[in-house]
Amino acid sequence: MILGDLLGIPVLDSDGGRLGKAADVRFVLDGAPHQLMSEARMLGIVVSPHSAASFLGYERTNLTQPWPLAYLLQWRHRGSFLVLWEDIALIRKDAVRLRPGFTRYSPALEDLDQGH
Amino acid sequence: MTSPGLVPLPPVPGRILDAQLHLLDRQVLDHDGVPVTTVDDLELSGPDIGAEIPQGTPAPVLDALLTGPVLGTRIFGGRPPQSRLIRIPWKDVADVGVVVRLGVGGEGLDASWVERWVRDRIIARIPGGRHDPR
Amino acid sequence: MKRLLGVALGVLTAIGGFVDIGDLVTNAVVGSRFGLSLVWVVGVGVLGICLFANMSGRVAAASGRATFEVIRERLGPRAGLANLSASFLINLMTVTAEIGGVALALQLASSVHYLLWIPVAAVAVWLVIWRVKFSIMENVTGLLGLTLIVFAVALFLLKPDWGVLAGQALAPAVPAEETAPTYWYFAIALFGAAMTPYEVFFFSSGAVEEGWTVKDLVQSRINVLVGFPLGGLLSVAIAGCAAVVLLPAGISVTSLSQVILPVAEGAGKLGLAFVLVGVVAATFGAALETTLSSGYTLAQFFGWSWGKFRRPAQAARFHLAMIICMLVGIGVLATGVDPVLVTEYSVVFSAIALPLTYLPILIVSNDPQYMGKHVNGRAVNVLAMVYLVIILVASVAAIPLMIVTGAGA
Repeated sequence: MILGDLLGIPVLDSDGGRLGKAADVRFVLDGAPHQLMSEARMLGIVVSPHSAASFLGYERTNLTQPWPLAYLLQWRHRGSFLVLWEDIALIRKDAVRLRPGFTRYSPALEDLDQGH
Repeated sequence: MTSPGLVPLPPVPGRILDAQLHLLDRQVLDHDGVPVTTVDDLELSGPDIGAEIPQGTPAPVLDALLTGPVLGTRIFGGRPPQSRLIRIPWKDVADVGVVVRLGVGGEGLDASWVERWVRDRIIARIPGGRHDPR
Repeated sequence: MKRLLGVALGVLTAIGGFVDIGDLVTNAVVGSRFGLSLVWVVGVGVLGICLFANMSGRVAAASGRATFEVIRERLGPRAGLANLSASFLINLMTVTAEIGGVALALQLASSVHYLLWIPVAAVAVWLVIWRVKFSIMENVTGLLGLTLIVFAVALFLLKPDWGVLAGQALAPAVPAEETAPTYWYFAIALFGAAMTPYEVFFFSSGAVEEGWTVKDLVQSRINVLVGFPLGGLLSVAIAGCAAVVLLPAGISVTSLSQVILPVAEGAGKLGLAFVLVGVVAATFGAALETTLSSGYTLAQFFGWSWGKFRRPAQAARFHLAMIICMLVGIGVLATGVDPVLVTEYSVVFSAIALPLTYLPILIVSNDPQYMGKHVNGRAVNVLAMVYLVIILVASVAAIPLMIVTGAGA
């Protein structure tokens, strides 16, 4: 599957209700180690209820400067959450459907081990 | 930045990379630091479009970086046929930071064929094309 | 001593390199119609370009990434492509104007028709880009461009009424023969001439070309903060000359000869010789910069290998793109379109395109992943936000004003 097909499409819950759009896809490097970098396994999808374009990732990082822009962009992406691969039931050309009882995780990045 | 009502993600044993935030549209450099291309899209190993995903299916992995005509389809929609995709396999990637660094040289890559073509057919034919400016 | 010489060279090159055909024509037009009542715009523009060049130079030195790579990565491919199309087309317009400017200046010097000089100028520009080392190119054109100081010399020799000039500059008002919309239209044009986007593309790519690191930031800051304002003073001198000679006589600026007429009047044949050298050097230097910028923007957006520090064979698409741009420029000029007219439009369109380039630079210069600890300070951010508003206002107002005033007629 090509990632570009997944970005921006609507994300639905198990009853077909609209939750938002797929703003980004998260990977974790914990797969089989290759020579250079480990395999990147898909962890989940970041869903944004209001806007498809994940503009600059302000909603996920601590960046607060320049102040008015950061505030505007964080507001535009308010309510964004992460759903894990395990909670995805079906990926169609025009939508993603989640399993019943899925968990909304925080999409924040700075709490996690970044491994830089 | 954890909003109320959202569960914090349990720690994961590995580095996190978000496609749009960290990988897409980044410059790709070969192991000598020479630019090769930009990451125009990504290829995953699954799942099948339109098919129900049975519980417990392992997550798809990132197979390759894509470049070339796929930029047009990413912006305007549609998709190029499988055989036309220009891939840089994930196993060639050495590091992801401000840029994506490969562990291999650019010469042998599919992704640099246009550069090689322009070089061999046009630039090398003009006198001084191979002259080192330093 | 060597350090001091290096600093001096940097500053002098910045001064000499500041003025291009856009500044020459726009300042002369403004001076001949509005006197010095728009000088405050030059001040605003110079401060803006200092701010802008400082940020993009810092981004390039701290992260090794030049402007357009950053633009695509921050804005995404769709907005990035829109940005590229607009910036590239306007840049192409500026390339055409600059090559035309070189040809016009050579026509003034030689009485050979400018259309015959166009291919000569274009080939000369290409040869320098193909073979000459980046720093040599910058230093030679920058230093030769310093001869434009003759505008300031001529202004003094013309013995103007300084009181009147100061009055126009410090208490700006719309002159009786002009209307408010035309006043603001030319304010935007002057702003665009001072803050042309190609200067930022070139400045940040040049930083990567010369391998700047954070250690070079001090030198770059001096070049910018000393060199650009002094370059701005040169612009003011051009406007002043026009205000003193052309305005009272009601001479309008339609070609390069009116731009340099005050210098001939004030400083005689010797002044004329100096100003011709200066104009050829400044426009030639600007032609080099804009042509390289067109290569930089395309190569950085698509991820091609680029740079004069690489052998042309190692940056093949970059060089091919620039050759094509120059051919297009020659083609457009060969249709006989007036280069001065192209210039007048290119500065206004530059003002329109500024927000596209400015916003990503502002955002990236705040991102610690790119900048490490060299992110913007508080004061810089406040100033930058103020300028963002100014740039947006200018950009939005430009087209309506262009329509209302008939492009400043």
